[in-house]
Amino acid sequence: MNANRARETLIDPTLSDQALAVVRKPSVWEILTSEKYFKWTLLIPLLLLLLVFMLYPLFYCIYYSFHEWGMQGDALFIGLKNYRQMLHDGSFMEALARTLEVLVICIVAELAIGLGLALLWNREFKGQNIVRGLALLPLLVAPLVLSLLWNFMLEYDFGAVNQILTAVGLGKVYWWSPQFALFTICLITIWQWLPFSIFVLLAGLRSLPRDVFEAAKVDGASGWYTFRRLTLPMLSPLIMIIVVLRTMWLIRLFDPLYGTTRGGVGTELLDWIVYRTAFVYFDVGYGSAMAIFSLFLTIALCAVMFRLLMKSLGVIK
Amino acid sequence: MMKRALFWAATLIVLAIVIGPLLWIYLTAFKASGDIFTTELKKLIVFAPTLDNFQRLMTDYPYWFNLGNTAIVSVVSTIFVMLVSLPAAYSFARWNTGGGHLLFVTISTRMFPGVVAALPFFIIFRTLGLLDTHVGLILLYIYFNTSFATFLLYGFFRDVPAELEQAAMIDGYGRMEIFRKVVFPLILPGLAVTTVFCLIWSWNEFFYAFLFTRLTARTVNVLISSFWGSIEVQYGPMAAGAGIAILPTLVAAWLMQRYIIRGLTFGAVKG
Repeated sequence: MNANRARETLIDPTLSDQALAVVRKPSVWEILTSEKYFKWTLLIPLLLLLLVFMLYPLFYCIYYSFHEWGMQGDALFIGLKNYRQMLHDGSFMEALARTLEVLVICIVAELAIGLGLALLWNREFKGQNIVRGLALLPLLVAPLVLSLLWNFMLEYDFGAVNQILTAVGLGKVYWWSPQFALFTICLITIWQWLPFSIFVLLAGLRSLPRDVFEAAKVDGASGWYTFRRLTLPMLSPLIMIIVVLRTMWLIRLFDPLYGTTRGGVGTELLDWIVYRTAFVYFDVGYGSAMAIFSLFLTIALCAVMFRLLMKSLGVIK
Repeated sequence: MMKRALFWAATLIVLAIVIGPLLWIYLTAFKASGDIFTTELKKLIVFAPTLDNFQRLMTDYPYWFNLGNTAIVSVVSTIFVMLVSLPAAYSFARWNTGGGHLLFVTISTRMFPGVVAALPFFIIFRTLGLLDTHVGLILLYIYFNTSFATFLLYGFFRDVPAELEQAAMIDGYGRMEIFRKVVFPLILPGLAVTTVFCLIWSWNEFFYAFLFTRLTARTVNVLISSFWGSIEVQYGPMAAGAGIAILPTLVAAWLMQRYIIRGLTFGAVKG
């Protein structure tokens, strides 16, 4: 089927059958692997996949966002009502504000602590490979498992963290109270993703040109001055990468909520409220509208930064 | 001397914070219920180890069956992802097909919030009877891993010098032969890294698995999540189950140290 499809687009439709009979000596396979078309042949599976898995859901989500539908019966067209409802929906606006809050807290903390530790480890020391290997471990562990683990460790009475805090003379903390819960979610996320910032920045520090820093030293520049005027600007592409990727991931925070508060005690974030609306209340139309909003928010937040990223990679001129 | 002591103190504290919680999973897995729910400080570390939790996990729950589901779905979806991404990445890397814009479109699917795809697919899967099936979940995992794999492989393909291919062409190799005999062997390490990453993302995935599976295709993460939220929280079996389930990812993380940052940044940072 692929081959047929490809052939239709490859051969000039204005050629008559007769002309084709003369022209079409090479087999389909030869055309597909010919110098001219090989690069597109290679892309056929991907293009089909994108068509089915990207355009289809996007189209349907937009379609449903203009309808009212409870997964039963016919969808009722209601125009922009879902979107208008969103603007007046207090819990949605709160979820949105909270998501942005989490975004800022996590990214700032990860960058600040990450930079500190990257500077600390930016030297040759004994056992550096072991330290590196151990520190990277949390990154690839399932976020859901980690959220369950932290939920247990931060339990008020039996949780290991509170017991240790008591032992060293600090009081217990009610981690899952409404005032603290969102902050606790941030802590868990930062804990898992801190190694990411550390080692991206460390890779950056390792690649900085030595001579510039030696010259600065000869000129008598202070450590702080060198850091601000040389190190930070040279690290900025890497900081950008961290900010873009973390924004993408943090907007869709779901697993850490499922294992802990399940959206309760003031921790409902964007993805959770969409999930609740669509899959718990079966309000498909409204859920779709929220999902589309969340998509555009992601694109708006990332698009500009993303193009900068692609430019620094040399993908786009 | 003072400086060195400070350096190691800071390093060890950081490592303790990073590793402590992971060790905690394994400590809890070997504790009896009485040692888990206690406020006695020394029992955090000192306790009589028991295999009760593992036993309960195997007898009371379909643990191996669910772990098997996770393995099947991860492996099959990863094979398909590779079949799609490998040629596509080669095309992007060697000919810059689509002038970078097509690559951008591909990678932007990774920006989609999970729910945007979840809703339409939930509805169509319901009609097609694909809910709670391996095929359904495999399709979803192909969707969310392809853009990632394409982009990562793209970076590895770019490391292969084009001159090699030109030389092969002068020797009279066809396009397919060049790919098979020249490019493919050189890309193998990159292919291995990408494969492991796709396996791990599928292995760890929870959102789709939670929405789209109930019994027959339930993955191990969904099973583990069900221990929390029932009337009695089953921390023991939960820790035992989690300890086994995360073992492959821990091993992979240790073996792939050099490539983790490269993978997580879609190849942007060589690490």
